[in-house]
Amino acid sequence: MAENKILLEIKDLHASVGDKEILRGINLTIREGETHAIMGPNGSGKSTLSAVLAGRDNYTVTSGEVTFNGHNLLELSPEERSWEGIFLSFQYPIEIPGVTNVNFMRTAVNEHRRHRGLEPLNAADFLKLMRSKMEIVEMNPSFSSRGVNVGFSGGEKKRNEIFQMAMLEPRLSILDETDSGLDVDALRIVATGVNKLKRPDNASIVITHYQRLLDYIVPDVVHVLYKGRIIKTAGKELAREIEERGYDWIING
Amino acid sequence: MADNYIYAPAHNIEGGFRCRVPLKGSRQIFMIDGGVQGTGRPLDIRFEKGRLYEEALQVIGIRTEKHPEDILMESRFHFAEGSSAKLILCSHTFAENPFRTDEKIEITVEAGASADIVIMQNEHNKAAHNTSYDIRLAGGASLKAVILTIHGGVIDNRINLSLDGPHAECDISGLYLVDGTQKVSNTLNVLHRVPECHSRELFKGILDNSATAYFNGLIHVFPDAQKTEAYQECHNLLLDRDARAFAQPQLEIYADDVKCSHGATNGRLNEDELFYMRSRGIPLKEAKVLQQLAFAYAVLDKISSPELKERMASLTERRLRGEFSDCNSCCRNCC
Repeated sequence: MAENKILLEIKDLHASVGDKEILRGINLTIREGETHAIMGPNGSGKSTLSAVLAGRDNYTVTSGEVTFNGHNLLELSPEERSWEGIFLSFQYPIEIPGVTNVNFMRTAVNEHRRHRGLEPLNAADFLKLMRSKMEIVEMNPSFSSRGVNVGFSGGEKKRNEIFQMAMLEPRLSILDETDSGLDVDALRIVATGVNKLKRPDNASIVITHYQRLLDYIVPDVVHVLYKGRIIKTAGKELAREIEERGYDWIING
Repeated sequence: MADNYIYAPAHNIEGGFRCRVPLKGSRQIFMIDGGVQGTGRPLDIRFEKGRLYEEALQVIGIRTEKHPEDILMESRFHFAEGSSAKLILCSHTFAENPFRTDEKIEITVEAGASADIVIMQNEHNKAAHNTSYDIRLAGGASLKAVILTIHGGVIDNRINLSLDGPHAECDISGLYLVDGTQKVSNTLNVLHRVPECHSRELFKGILDNSATAYFNGLIHVFPDAQKTEAYQECHNLLLDRDARAFAQPQLEIYADDVKCSHGATNGRLNEDELFYMRSRGIPLKEAKVLQQLAFAYAVLDKISSPELKERMASLTERRLRGEFSDCNSCCRNCC
């Protein structure tokens, strides 16, 4: 069977904060249509990997290559990565008082359109699009006029992340502990939202500590990250095994 | 109120000045080179007792090249008992002369009256404008004032506010946008002379290049002024290492049953917010503008007329985008 096109290819990626090396040789290939889960104990580098892929500049890439959809990802600014189709759902979404959700998203969507050579959406079309995407995560329309994430509960913030993902239609979405701080209902809504956005030509990286999220978003591959390296890769059954046995058997094996 | 004054239509004003602020139903008075258009005299406005004025009164002060010398402008606003009115005070410069203007504004708000004032300062880099505001509030009077310093070489606002009767309340806020070598100074002396008055001040500034801003805020609570509530805040956003902001909050409290606070911060743009916006595809430059607008919003939001608020927000945005910085002079169609 012919394999799908490669979307993201990470080769021997090393990254540091200050003098401290956090990623110590990551190799990862993600193809269109795939969902990869990344698990691992606290401090193993999961969030660093997502931040490096999104272009956060307080991490220094010291060596390695990242190719995304034919581009050298590491040369691109965070906004260029977004235009090319990278989306990071933040573990701790940022509050931006004074910038309404609607203005924030209209600016973002129109910058994406500009990058594709399209005219900005008019107000009516934009609101229509926004409403339809809000439905995906069962978000109350009143949230659109509120400051970005300001006064949102943990669950509302995560819904807002997935709503933004729906608006921007990324090729590769990176969900950094999207399940943290969610109750069961919010988890179901968020995960269902992510599943609705799945297409044959996009892919996801799901970073999580728990099997629970992976009951909803079923991964094709599960990786275990430890001390900045991927130390084990297997099918979805690995997540269940980690849930039962922890990481020690992998780390010590 | 000002029935004896001329409400000049915009096309009578030299230089093709167009003020786009006039709100539906607002009245305008022009002060040309220090005097009321037509009479050249100081402005003296009296809002009648018990009358609620629906219309806003807009006073547009303009300096022209005909009088490049230093001038003194004076105006008085008297809000009689139980009256309620809205004022918009704008100052502009028409020519690029190095103008110096000294202005005295007296505002008296009698018992139970309410004054809603927006002050818009939009001059040019060579303009120096010193304004002293002498404000007195009688018992149960209320004053809401927003001072927007959009552009000017050296702008100095000195506000003396005296709460003379119980249950008077005031809310004064300011937003100043300063760049190049501009200097803006706001000095407030808020005197709580009697019990049970409330005052609230919020001043915010955005400074770029080697601009300088000063804030001196004194709250003085007299010995008898029990149950006073007085709050003061000043926050500055510095966009450049060479920009300087000096904040000096002072509380002098001689009564023992009061609630008072003050706070001052100087900070930079928030890196986490910038990254968050960029990760959604908003370019750095735009993300910075959005963040500055968000910073300014708390003051703009104090403007009670939604229409005026929107115009001031758009003027602020254009200023932050650097649309005024190309020309040294004030933009004639600025707002």
